[in-house]
Amino acid sequence: MSKEKSAPGAVLDLLSSLKLTLVLFFVLAAASVIGTLLPQEISLPELRDHFSPATASLINFLALNNLYHSMWFRILLLLLCTNLVACTIERLPKTIRLIRRFEAPFDSQKLSKFGISSSIAAALPFEQTQSVVESAVCETFGRMCRIESGRVGGQGPFCAVSETGRWSTLMVYGVHLSVLIVLVGALAGSYLGFKGAMNLTEGETSDKVMLAGDESVQGLPFEVRCDKFEVSFYDTGAPKEFRSDLAIIDKGREVLKESIVVNDPLTYEGITFYQASYGTTLKEAEIDLTDPDSGKKIALTLPFRQPVTIPGTDDQLVIADYQEDLMRVGQAIELVYGKQGRQSSAQWILIDRPYHGNRIENYLVRVTRIDKARFTGLQVKKDPGIWLVWAGFTLMTLAIGLTFYSSHRKLWVCIEPDKKRKKTIVTLAGRASRNAQAFEEKFEALRAELENRLKNPPAPL
Amino acid sequence: MTSSLLLSLTTFAYLLCTVLYLAGTIFRFKPLLAAGTITGAATLLMQTAGIGLRWVESYRMGYGHAPLSNMYESLVFASWAIMIIYLVFEWRVKQRALGVFPALFSFLAMAYASFSKDVDSKIQPLVPALKSNWLIAHVMTCFLGYAAFAVSCGLSLLYLVRKRFPENPNPQGGFVAFLPGASQLEWFNYQMVLFGFLWLSVGIITGSIWANSAWGTYWSWDPKETWSLITWFIYAALLHARNLQGWKGERVAWLSVIGFGCVLFTYFGVNFLLSGLHSYAR
Repeated sequence: MSKEKSAPGAVLDLLSSLKLTLVLFFVLAAASVIGTLLPQEISLPELRDHFSPATASLINFLALNNLYHSMWFRILLLLLCTNLVACTIERLPKTIRLIRRFEAPFDSQKLSKFGISSSIAAALPFEQTQSVVESAVCETFGRMCRIESGRVGGQGPFCAVSETGRWSTLMVYGVHLSVLIVLVGALAGSYLGFKGAMNLTEGETSDKVMLAGDESVQGLPFEVRCDKFEVSFYDTGAPKEFRSDLAIIDKGREVLKESIVVNDPLTYEGITFYQASYGTTLKEAEIDLTDPDSGKKIALTLPFRQPVTIPGTDDQLVIADYQEDLMRVGQAIELVYGKQGRQSSAQWILIDRPYHGNRIENYLVRVTRIDKARFTGLQVKKDPGIWLVWAGFTLMTLAIGLTFYSSHRKLWVCIEPDKKRKKTIVTLAGRASRNAQAFEEKFEALRAELENRLKNPPAPL
Repeated sequence: MTSSLLLSLTTFAYLLCTVLYLAGTIFRFKPLLAAGTITGAATLLMQTAGIGLRWVESYRMGYGHAPLSNMYESLVFASWAIMIIYLVFEWRVKQRALGVFPALFSFLAMAYASFSKDVDSKIQPLVPALKSNWLIAHVMTCFLGYAAFAVSCGLSLLYLVRKRFPENPNPQGGFVAFLPGASQLEWFNYQMVLFGFLWLSVGIITGSIWANSAWGTYWSWDPKETWSLITWFIYAALLHARNLQGWKGERVAWLSVIGFGCVLFTYFGVNFLLSGLHSYAR
């Protein structure tokens, strides 16, 4: 039989190796460092503003501008999970066998090789020595259990093991499982949930969420209305509180009214609304259009982002955007002029500065009145995976905590008669997975106590 | 008596404590080490009073929040956490000669908080994002972790020094004679890293629970979050490396020093060099 590993066996060996774990930790750490140094979630054209074209293309090609969501970063995380699972497959059965099984046969020869071991020669007969040892060990270390020794025969040695905290060796699997649970929860959240923003002016009702990233719209199964938005400030001028009074309207009926502030969101049917930002937006504007050739003047009222047909024409005008302070020259609206069958034209119009550039097509434009409204910026989220993430976090905390505070301690005892010298030899050995020093002190105390009791035995009953 | 007076005194008392520990180790004079411990414990009490008083003062000013809300307050707490973790550790392992680095780190944190122009020591009101009970849990757990890593960095440095000298130095063998053996230092370091790893994990977890209620996302790859994860990776690597042939010992000690470098960058570097959601921590 060849001892060569089969191909799947070799792969499992590699995947379950501790070296791979270490490499993955270092690579993940290095990748994360790069992600904090380079600007993230910016496009190739924006990259070209910061870097030379070749560097920008390289960054874009390696997805370093969206590193944490890139395929290769996910593959690294997947490898880490595979490593975790492979390690568990390889090591958990051994650990469980160790926990469930009694000790393998051992003798005093083996015990004397332990790091912590000691041997005492007692002048007492075998049976009496055994009872003295049992009571001393039980007082110091807890329950002892008798097990078979390697030798057969009536006068064979007595061997026993005493241990505490066997289960503590399992804790590391708890930590590993918790990492998997958190990652599965995060995955579930990103595939089954959504994250987006919703801007509501006071009095506005909406069921549409602008999704983060691709700017698509997600409809909600109910509507949200903002009744009021308030900001309060400290004396120092720093903001004190942002508060939105929200109402949920489900199938035309108002079912819930609640105020939200930062750190205190509102959840309805698994969808949560967070106070995220606020701002001012345009409600509507009145403008005068003047035809410089004829001198004819047209007054129009344009609601924000709703096209209005210019009287006497088929052309449409819409306010596409509004800026509180456009390039530091004040308030401005972006007008888009739409002509049937022709490309539309767009122009920024300054509201506070009626200058000659305020024109679109051949009209001179003057803004005569604007009506503004304050809006509240809500972050909207649905995350069905969050309970898994919380469960993983809880398990992680418990398992790491118990790893720190628990210890697997084991004590071996062998008692055998030495017929030549007419003595009984007691051999002790111990091992602790943690806090070896405290264990050693206890071991030393036991040894001293035993020596004392074996010299001055209690009177037999 | 004001909190700022108590905290100023604390700064100088930690300097004294550092000098005592250093002199005790170098001159191998045990009473100096005992004086270092006593100074450290007394300073810790004074600092605790200072932190408590600052809390009370914030209520008097009408803001009413735990003194854990900005760079100054977190530095004071970091220095406090390093000293309390070290003193408990000293008491548990009965080794006095390890106090130089923890005392020095505590002093440096206080000195930076008191004297740097970048750090504002005024009591300020909380911005809306910080108004949460998670503030106390998150900051305390993170800084207990950072403090444990500071102590473990000190232990690793001593370990590396110890390794340069033979195991059983003669009685005239200089200050190393006072240090515990290399294998014991290695074990202390491992324990301290495990303790720090526990608190760092809980700190990241409480932070992400808080972020979820404040911003609606428990993980957003913000530079602070990412750097805390990088730190977590490094210490996770350390805990695993210890079981690997050839890593236990010096390499693990160096990893602990690198890990503490990551802690410092998470704390200072991110605040001053990278922008992100944690900008109020300046």
